[in-house]
Amino acid sequence: MAEFNVRADEVNVEQIMHQIRARIREKRGVDYTEEQIQELAKIKLEKFLDPRGLRSDLLEQFQRAAAKDLPPTYEFDDQTLIRSGNPLVAFIRRLLQPVLKLFFSPNPLVQALHYQTQINRYLLERAARDVLVYEVMHNLVVEMTRTGIEVKNMTMRVESIAGRLDFNERRARALEAVVQYKPEGREEHGAPRGGRGFAAEGQGGRGFAAEGASRGDQAGRASGAEGQGGAPSPRGDQGPSAVDPVTGGESLRSRRRRRRRGRRSGPGFTGEGRETRDEGRGTDEGRRTGDEARRTGNEGPGENVLEHRSRGDDQEQRPAEANGQVEAASERASQPDTPTEAPASEPDQS
Amino acid sequence: MKVAVVVQRYGADINGGAELHARYIAEHLARHTEVEVLTTCARDYVTWRNELPAGVEKIGGVTVRRFPVARARDVHDFGRRSTAVFTRTHSLSDELAWLESEGPTSHALVKHVASAADAYDWFVFFSYRYYHAFHGVRAAASRAVLVPTAERDAAIGLAIFPPIFRGVRALMFNSFEERAMIQHVAGAGDLPGVVVGVGSDIPARPEPDRFRQQSGITGPFAIYVGRIDENKGCKELFEYFRRYARTMPGGLQLVLVGTAILPVPADPRIRHLGFLSDTEKFDAMAAADVLIMPSYYESLSMVALEAWGMGKPVLANGRCDVLKGQCLRSNAGLYYESYAEFADALYSIASSASLSQGLGRNGRAYFERHYAWPVIERKYLDVFSQLSARGASAAPAVEPLPGFFARRARTVPAAEDVLGRVPAGAVRP
Repeated sequence: MAEFNVRADEVNVEQIMHQIRARIREKRGVDYTEEQIQELAKIKLEKFLDPRGLRSDLLEQFQRAAAKDLPPTYEFDDQTLIRSGNPLVAFIRRLLQPVLKLFFSPNPLVQALHYQTQINRYLLERAARDVLVYEVMHNLVVEMTRTGIEVKNMTMRVESIAGRLDFNERRARALEAVVQYKPEGREEHGAPRGGRGFAAEGQGGRGFAAEGASRGDQAGRASGAEGQGGAPSPRGDQGPSAVDPVTGGESLRSRRRRRRRGRRSGPGFTGEGRETRDEGRGTDEGRRTGDEARRTGNEGPGENVLEHRSRGDDQEQRPAEANGQVEAASERASQPDTPTEAPASEPDQS
Repeated sequence: MKVAVVVQRYGADINGGAELHARYIAEHLARHTEVEVLTTCARDYVTWRNELPAGVEKIGGVTVRRFPVARARDVHDFGRRSTAVFTRTHSLSDELAWLESEGPTSHALVKHVASAADAYDWFVFFSYRYYHAFHGVRAAASRAVLVPTAERDAAIGLAIFPPIFRGVRALMFNSFEERAMIQHVAGAGDLPGVVVGVGSDIPARPEPDRFRQQSGITGPFAIYVGRIDENKGCKELFEYFRRYARTMPGGLQLVLVGTAILPVPADPRIRHLGFLSDTEKFDAMAAADVLIMPSYYESLSMVALEAWGMGKPVLANGRCDVLKGQCLRSNAGLYYESYAEFADALYSIASSASLSQGLGRNGRAYFERHYAWPVIERKYLDVFSQLSARGASAAPAVEPLPGFFARRARTVPAAEDVLGRVPAGAVRP
């Protein structure tokens, strides 16, 4: 429940009540009063019972019926017919009973009436019990209605929570992408960023960090060259994205790749240069190699590739190169999400 | 100027809402003018048995003249007649019989009003629904001022009362909701009258610590003051509060002040203190965090006004139009219409000091603006002086009762049906 923080001159009871009711609606889905629940219970009862000709106000009807005077029951045994308050009359009847039997057989009559008294008694007991039964039934219907409403509200809440979860996941992914494509410090702070990712994971983290760490593991497996001093992939927690989550436009990586493609196919390149760059892209350090080649002019492509690979294997490359290696590894790890980048794996296959 | 306050019961120890209201008004008007109270010898509002001696006595400096009740109420007869006139089409004759059955049937009181009408300038009749008010107004209509103390119950739908509402010189309403209801029932656009209510003598310095010491109550608590009765909504209050207490362990306690007609549930969070003196009651209210008013039917909640006068927030039953209207107009109380609202509103008041204090400050300002005694006294005196200025010729005549056969024609609709057509809801500020 929310805290109110108000000044006296700001207290608006109507507004506060609106807030309270809004909170209740939010919690319960739809707010029903007890009367409404009763009303709904009646409607449902009607729906179920009307086809059988029963009433929705079952309890009320039954109570009304039960309130009517029930006929009194009676006792009937073999002496009832001849019993009399006058002993003389009773004696004469008993005396003449054998004569009576000459005219008709009274025993079946006595027996039937005796059974009838038992049936009457049973029915009266059942009538008394039925009051309770119908009350229980009525209460069950009311409770069922209440439960039904609660279930409906719970369903609404689950849907709402699922919606929020979905939204949060998408938001988390967007935030990950923001971190991934931060232009500065990508090379300078690669390792520490990876460290942050692990720290977050160690904290038991939130979905964002855990997911990032998981992707880092995938990147590590993909690169095979990762693990500089146990450091995780600095971009292991980053997913590829063709769209910059901040600007909504193309991400830096997409722009850079397009630039590169443009250079490759552009007019100022020799075939050798293109080849050098293409080959360079193919290695773990390829991209960095290609970049260095661009900066330094024309260097032997094949040698460079082999040289860098061997240096990478020997764990002796410079930190900047190591960063580039890790970047390349993570870039490969992210390839399934960017099928257009498939050529990056071609040199390995070759 | 001499004013007669006519009320069904009167006494220092009689604490019914209308009766207390009448006593306060009589005692405060007595500071400005000569006041005499005309009442019955009854003390019990259920039976109206003659328990007090007839004659004249002084209570709180006011002359009280008591008249015997002709017969005690037959509860079964009254119940049967109530059912007949409230739920079925009936006749005016049935309603008059119902009024006789309800009581307090004091022919002597009505006779005195009729015979000594000239001895008083004004008669202030309390509680429209009783015998003394109906027949008293008819006996002295040109000097009659009525304090209806009407609640939203079926009696307001009876056909014998609209002529009374239309026939008095002025009506002193307790609330805007009451005025709206009576105007609708009376079928007269604008009845002469004013919304007044009643004040309360709130001590300047109540001592909450003294109450806590005496009662041994520690920690925050909500208080209910009044008769502990199902009709006052106490059953629902117990149910709601116990549910609340289960979900909020270690929170507010509920302290009950008043005579218990309904059994108080055995719950460690509910304390029943019984009847307290005014001093103790005000100490208890000063110590409380919030006053709860669970009643469904009120024409004016004096306890709620007292709580506001002491700067305490109120949590009221929103199904009572009057209480809800007062909360809205004063901005000094929250209301509930279901358990969820009860729990949320109570928690909000209990947990937010700023809200609680804000409501309390608004309540105090509302009380001082509308219900301080100088305001109430001035309103009564202004009404008397305005009516005097208009003169007796301006007095509307009370419509006579229909003839013998018309009274017996069974054409009067059930009072509950009439009530059902009366617009409900709080009057917005």
